[in-house]
Amino acid sequence: MRFRTLVTNSNLLLRIVQSIDKLSKTAILKLTPTKLHIIVITDIDSGLQLWSDVVNSALFSDYHIESAQDNEIYVEFNIDNLQRALRSTQGGALGVTLKLTKKQGMPVLSLIIRSQSAGGRDISLCQDVPVRMLSAQQMAQIGEPQVPEGQIHIMMPPLNNVRSIAERMKSVGDRVSVSVNRDGDMNVRVANDLVDITTFFRGLETLTYDTQGAAVDRGPNEFYTAVVDMKNFVRFLQSYHVAPKNIVCCVVEHHALVFYVYIGSSAYADTAALNETACGSLTYFLPVRQI
Amino acid sequence: MAAEPELGLFRAKIANVRPLVNMLKTISFRPRARCVINPDGLVFTVEESQCLVAQAYLRSELFTTFAYDLQLAEYYRNQEQAGFEAEDSQGGETGDVTQVVLPLDNLIECLTLFYGPSGASSSGSLSGAHSTTSMLNSGQPGDLRGATTAVIGFNGPGTDFELMLEERGIISMCRLSTFVPEPPVDLKFSHYPTTQQLIIRSEWLRDAFNELDPTSESVSIYIASTEPHFRISTIGESGITDMTYSNSERILDSFFCNEDQENQYKLSLILKCKQALAMSDKTKIRINQRGFLSFQFMIPTAADVSFVNFVFAPLVSADEPVADATARVVM
Repeated sequence: MRFRTLVTNSNLLLRIVQSIDKLSKTAILKLTPTKLHIIVITDIDSGLQLWSDVVNSALFSDYHIESAQDNEIYVEFNIDNLQRALRSTQGGALGVTLKLTKKQGMPVLSLIIRSQSAGGRDISLCQDVPVRMLSAQQMAQIGEPQVPEGQIHIMMPPLNNVRSIAERMKSVGDRVSVSVNRDGDMNVRVANDLVDITTFFRGLETLTYDTQGAAVDRGPNEFYTAVVDMKNFVRFLQSYHVAPKNIVCCVVEHHALVFYVYIGSSAYADTAALNETACGSLTYFLPVRQI
Repeated sequence: MAAEPELGLFRAKIANVRPLVNMLKTISFRPRARCVINPDGLVFTVEESQCLVAQAYLRSELFTTFAYDLQLAEYYRNQEQAGFEAEDSQGGETGDVTQVVLPLDNLIECLTLFYGPSGASSSGSLSGAHSTTSMLNSGQPGDLRGATTAVIGFNGPGTDFELMLEERGIISMCRLSTFVPEPPVDLKFSHYPTTQQLIIRSEWLRDAFNELDPTSESVSIYIASTEPHFRISTIGESGITDMTYSNSERILDSFFCNEDQENQYKLSLILKCKQALAMSDKTKIRINQRGFLSFQFMIPTAADVSFVNFVFAPLVSADEPVADATARVVM
């Protein structure tokens, strides 16, 4: 098993890891010859899940990977550790290398950062992130949630707005109802015995997808609704480091709320415009609350 | 669905919720408040332990529009009472026809929905006084930067209190449950003659409050026609703390004292008025013949002054002669 690569866009990698920081303590990294996947599963039955992938070329160069499982490698890591390690790459590193290695008999992801001191000398900083190796069988048990085709896809309003309002609404109740229609309306509602709050976002862009065989069974002003955990909703909204704009919300009634964040390829762009080729995506699954 | 509350019994619009929120926060130490709606404005009242009553007066001029249908209100009240014997109606005086109890903490939560994560939430710290005063003034018509507008509506007993909030194109509709009010706690301050009065600049009183020993159960207020004219003291684990003020014009205003008196009040209750004190420019202190204490806080708002009133019942009756009051235990 071998993994070694140069990291050409450490800033993007850092921002992706920062985005998942609030979701959980640990995450799974799946490295393949073409893509990097990060998976966060908070609670297999009722929790939020994040599945993401980025094409290697957007992050790495001189990429080498080799393993007995189709040249794929699976590790579990502590998000905060990786985040802190990646933060040291910011601020003028000459070169960053990432590799899988063993230190004191334990597997680690090593981040080697070369930079120059004020006096002009080469410094090499090594940050080790301990990881737990996962076998192919363990990885096979972790699969993307099976969710039916969504009934409607809409562009989210500016995430900062939704986040600050949702944070203030969260003390009202532990579940939130998100309703969307083809006219571009999104209603977010939370209620308890004493107070009932609905926030209306208007003028959102709906996306028409060709879903074969899916009949359009409702009028443009009729809503599709999913009721999810308020905690999960707020957690998703707090992960905005990668792309506060251009996030697609998909309602799959009785199943889930799914959010798609597309990652643009330019180094500091917030995200890809929808018609630009994205180099990766983050997909958040928020299961519907079973009453 | 996202429609303004209809014009029914009561509807008011405000261009910037901040002054309204700040006024409500001065009395938000209880979860529920009684709201009285009359043609002149709104009065929110909270009470605690039957020894403290606090009221915030929101005059109709504070609002951009204010519409209250008194006739309809009287009609509803007559409807309500049609099924009862001729009991004392709770709104005996004209002007107290519409009374409702609502969740004050939820009302403030709704009004501050668009405040954002940094939140203009005022902490209990008295040093925040200047910033909160300028926040009140930012309700000037020209300054709509990040201002939430609100429309408030109420349609009579048994209906919800409705709020429609808007900021930068995002609209929120909030409905608050209302409750039938119980007979109000009335400490009857004005039923007895006022024997002592003074107006003091709030910043001096804030200094005094900061010195109060929190380990003390009670705070003592002594007002006399001779020096020292005004003294606030506590006896706590670290000893006695006295703050005294003389009757010089720079400090005390409109001073009169018909009877030298010292009265004790529960410190934890007195401290509930810190928020109101923080926002005010001046405080009028009055004590009546029975030793009840009234703080009237004068709070500057866009055009003029708004009032928040606190009335406290004394711990000890005012019948004790002054001489006894000085025989304190010295630690």
